[in-house]
This record gives sequence, structure tokens and C-alpha cells, in this order.
Amino acid sequence: MRRKRNSGPVERIDTGLFVLNLTSDERSTLSGFVDQLEEVVSAPHDDPRVRRLFPTAYHDNPEHDAEYQGYMRDELAQSRRASIETVRNALMSDEPMTEAQLYSFMTVLNSLRLVLGTLLDVDEVDDLDLIPEDSPAYGQAQLYEYLGWLLEWTVSALAGE
Amino acid sequence: MTTNRKQNVSVPFTTHPADQVAMTQVAEPDLIEKTDEVAEHDRPWIVLVWNDPINLMSYVSFVFQKLFGYSKEKADELMLDVHEKGRAVVSSGPRERAELDVFRLHEHGLWATMQQDS
Repeated sequence: MRRKRNSGPVERIDTGLFVLNLTSDERSTLSGFVDQLEEVVSAPHDDPRVRRLFPTAYHDNPEHDAEYQGYMRDELAQSRRASIETVRNALMSDEPMTEAQLYSFMTVLNSLRLVLGTLLDVDEVDDLDLIPEDSPAYGQAQLYEYLGWLLEWTVSALAGE
Repeated sequence: MTTNRKQNVSVPFTTHPADQVAMTQVAEPDLIEKTDEVAEHDRPWIVLVWNDPINLMSYVSFVFQKLFGYSKEKADELMLDVHEKGRAVVSSGPRERAELDVFRLHEHGLWATMQQDS
């Protein structure tokens, strides 16, 4: 994917407003992945892709955790859907993003990385470069790296760095 | 553990007159049992964030700053603790408060859990 050299993909243009310097191809590709994320959020609880999106809360007490999940899991799914909706609209619009929209963009990028990282079984060591180009996981690994790059820039922009 | 128990011994009995009467009547073992329950209830809950290979370090530090109002220095220090020691305590307090913190951390995709402080 093409990247601009002079400025990053996320830029603060005015007080509190941000632009994404992304091509329309990048925007529509991202939108597609955001749609997929929405499907994953609604996937059954035992689907391995949702493991990192809905973690255990009480690691040493399964009873408390079941109780917690009973009243918090739906709320967490709802919160993720709301962020997804915000990002979908922002990606389709030519308007600059507000800080709140960019914040949702940040959390959605991170959710996508969590799902992809789980699928790729990412470990502490950076072994993604070793995936051969003809492997089915190659595209996923490229996307994972791309999302990480975009997320770094988004965090920097929000942090005012 | 022992220290906590001692600190909490007199609290429930001085606030409830009915219990004060009871205290004079019950045998020693019952008293200790009751005190244990209270200590159990009063011990604060801690929220832990665990190391994971996916979340970016800059992102984790930024989330700590946003959610807890920590300075960049404090947030970086906690993030490095998570990264190097495998986990760090990021907040503590009553159970309801800890659950809210865990929820907000989960919203941000961080691997957070809670337990009662020992």
C-alpha cells in the first residue's frame, strides 16, 4: 500500500481535528475489515477469534467471572459495535475527524490487530517476517503490520506528539 | 495478612451496638471467624494488566494515561513493568470500582483481570 512520505497517515490539521492521509483504496479496504470485525464481535463465545476481545475478568475465580460476564459481556459487545459504527461513518466521510472519532478509530484498529494477532498466533518474537509469500497467512501478516503502523501514527497524533 | 486482620478487628463491633452486646457473649473462636469475614470484605481489589505480544507499547502507555489520568512517565513505567515483569497493578479499590476499570481496559483491548489483594 502507498504511503505518503512527507507526512504521516494521521495528521492534526486544526484545533482538535484530524485528517487521515489514506487513499480511497485504503479507506475501502479498511472499511471491509471493520465490517468483518463487526461479524467477529457477534460471533459465538467459544469462537477463538473473540478470545482477546472478551477476556476473563476474574482470573482466579471462575464463579465470579461467570457472574461478571453475565452482565458485562453484552455491554462490551455493544461498546465495540458503537466504535465500529463511528469508524465506518468516519471512513466514508471526507470531513476531518474529531478527536473522539479518531479515538474510536484507534480502539477499532487495536481490536483488528487483536483478532489478526490471535489468528496468526503472534508470539513475543517478531517472526512474521519469516512467513513465506505463498503462505495463506502472508496477507494477514502484511495487514497486521500495516495496522500496527497506522495505530502508531494514530496514538502519536492523539497524544499530540 | 496478619496485620490486616488486626487493623480490622474492632471496626464492625463499634459501629453496631447490637454487635457490641454479641461480642461480650460469644466465645473467642466465633469472634475470630466473624472478624475474618469482615477482613475478607474490606480487603481492596487490585486490577492487573498482563503482558501480551500483540498490544503496542505506545498504545498501552497512552491508554493508561487516558483511563487513569497518569502522567506519561508513570504510564510508561507501568507499561514497562507489564512488558518486563509480565504484569503490573494499575489500580486498586472497592470491587465495583475495580470491575469498572477492568471493563474500560477490556474496551481498549488490554488483557486486564482483577483479584482481591492478599
